[in-house]
Amino acid sequence: MYFRTKLKEGVITNNPILVQQLGMCATMAITTTLFNGVGMGLSVLIILTCCNVCVAAIRKIIPEEIRLAIFVVVIAGFVTIVDLLLQAFIPALSSALGVFIPLIVVNCIIIGRAEAFCQKNTVGASFVDGITQGLGYTCVLILMCLIRELLGSGRFGGGLIDITNGFRFTMDGTGAGIQLFPSDYGASILNLPFGGFLTLGVIFGTMQYALKKSAKKKEAAEQAAAAAAAAAAKEVDE
Amino acid sequence: MLSSILAISLGAILTNNFIFSQFLGICPFLGCSSKVDTATGMGLAVVFVMGLASAICWVIDTYILIPLGLAFLETLAFILVIASLVQFVEMFLKKSVPSLYEALGIYLPLITTNCAVLGVVLLNVQNNYNFLESVVYGITGGIGFMLAIVLFASVRERIQFADYPENFEGFPICLVSAALVALAFMGFSGMQIF
Amino acid sequence: MNKIFKLTLVLLLICAIVAGVLGVINELTYRRIEELTIQKTNTAYGAVLKAESYKELDKAALGLPAAIDKVNIDSVNEALDASGNVLGYVIVTTFSGAQGNITLASGVDSDFLCSGISVIEHSETSGLGAVAASTSQAGADWRAQFAGQGEDIALTKAGGQIDAISGATITSRTIAKAVSVSIQVAKEVAA
Repeated sequence: MYFRTKLKEGVITNNPILVQQLGMCATMAITTTLFNGVGMGLSVLIILTCCNVCVAAIRKIIPEEIRLAIFVVVIAGFVTIVDLLLQAFIPALSSALGVFIPLIVVNCIIIGRAEAFCQKNTVGASFVDGITQGLGYTCVLILMCLIRELLGSGRFGGGLIDITNGFRFTMDGTGAGIQLFPSDYGASILNLPFGGFLTLGVIFGTMQYALKKSAKKKEAAEQAAAAAAAAAAKEVDE
Repeated sequence: MLSSILAISLGAILTNNFIFSQFLGICPFLGCSSKVDTATGMGLAVVFVMGLASAICWVIDTYILIPLGLAFLETLAFILVIASLVQFVEMFLKKSVPSLYEALGIYLPLITTNCAVLGVVLLNVQNNYNFLESVVYGITGGIGFMLAIVLFASVRERIQFADYPENFEGFPICLVSAALVALAFMGFSGMQIF
Repeated sequence: MNKIFKLTLVLLLICAIVAGVLGVINELTYRRIEELTIQKTNTAYGAVLKAESYKELDKAALGLPAAIDKVNIDSVNEALDASGNVLGYVIVTTFSGAQGNITLASGVDSDFLCSGISVIEHSETSGLGAVAASTSQAGADWRAQFAGQGEDIALTKAGGQIDAISGATITSRTIAKAVSVSIQVAKEVAA
């Protein structure tokens, strides 16, 4: 139950990108193929979870004054580990994401969660928080990739899916993806920086619309309930 | 030599602008661009710290990390250097140049998590720049950042008079206008003067 | 004072632990990373000029300039067959494309004709300039145009032999220039 509420919070109501507005750079820079998006999302998820657990575990012994420095060191450590492992075992991902892997160190999501959540919560809760927030981040990256890849080059699942010899997942980034329409008809401008800003802007706008609508609905429901209660109270009075 | 320096500067300021083509430093770019004044302050602070960080990190990397075979500690060492550098600059300015501190002070702590700063030192290593090239890349990268943020702040000041869909209020409309500025910056791509 | 000392100690301790863990991970991965890098270079070189092995030449000893026509010369490699005869050269150049730097390996055979090219690194626009590096049929076809070309390579628009990638004239033009610079370099090295 706790996991489900946290999941809803991470993916929708307190999404790290769409609500907390953190970690924009990588979101716009690398979301050109599904392979990059999934790779980056999972890397962040792993690093975030590890850092959360680690920070929560040592939260009682670190001195208040230098906590940020310690967070940064811990984060940099995990980021370097992931960076080295990617270089050794998934070199295609490492070269596609380039400098954005080490830059996860300054991704505000991780230090933000450490400061806002893990400092005050147990290891277990921080673990769940890491997973759910990481999933929220990954979801937005995947959404960005899907939109930019589909409209930009008419493709689905570039780098991750290969259908030349039957459907299979390619973990080394070589799959050509599923071509839904010829890439000549795609708006390749969406693959450029312009597309990154625009796509994220539109997703943000849609999100705000949805949040506002649900808030309005809630408000209307509350008002109706209040009115009913008032009417009931009046009846009792009479 | 001179031509490579000029090429690096032109690339960092216009063709490969940190914000609009490399996507580094987007958070402060969106966070500190609501007024031209604050944008200029933030921009200046970034130029300052990026130049200094490039110089110091280059020295540490070339004379300490690489000779000792510790290149894998680069990320860790660089972020610590940047964090302490920012602290140090803040203390120094507060004591000796209060007027500059007044102008830059509140932006300095934000710079530690500005990925343009860590980005520039990592790119210096990746591109195998020498000392001079690193410093020039740092400073001109900062100038590119400043150009982008000041231009964008003046665009943003005008947004409040514009008529846009209600649901795009705040962040989304900023992103959409940033997209248009990025489109304008694309005009520089492929430019080769030097 | 005592407090500062204690804080520094804690921070140092944590740094030392993190550095230690990283050292172990590095120990486990660096051989594989090195192997992969060598393998990657060999595949890239092999794609442009097939040979048994490649030997990097000392640029300074050859008296080559660092750059010709704004094309930086990164490395000059002799392609050797099994008995050590020189089959040609693989020249790696870096230059500014439309979006960022492009690193290109060009093969030059013993007749000083281009034997093939391969883009090692680039940041060109996906779907446009990136075709030059793509593994797709279109990319392979485009690169195949360079095979057998001599020193004066230019785009058809400029009266040459190479059709530009549509929508990516700048990328195509800079690559064509780099290939002709590479052939020049190979001639100089051979002479």
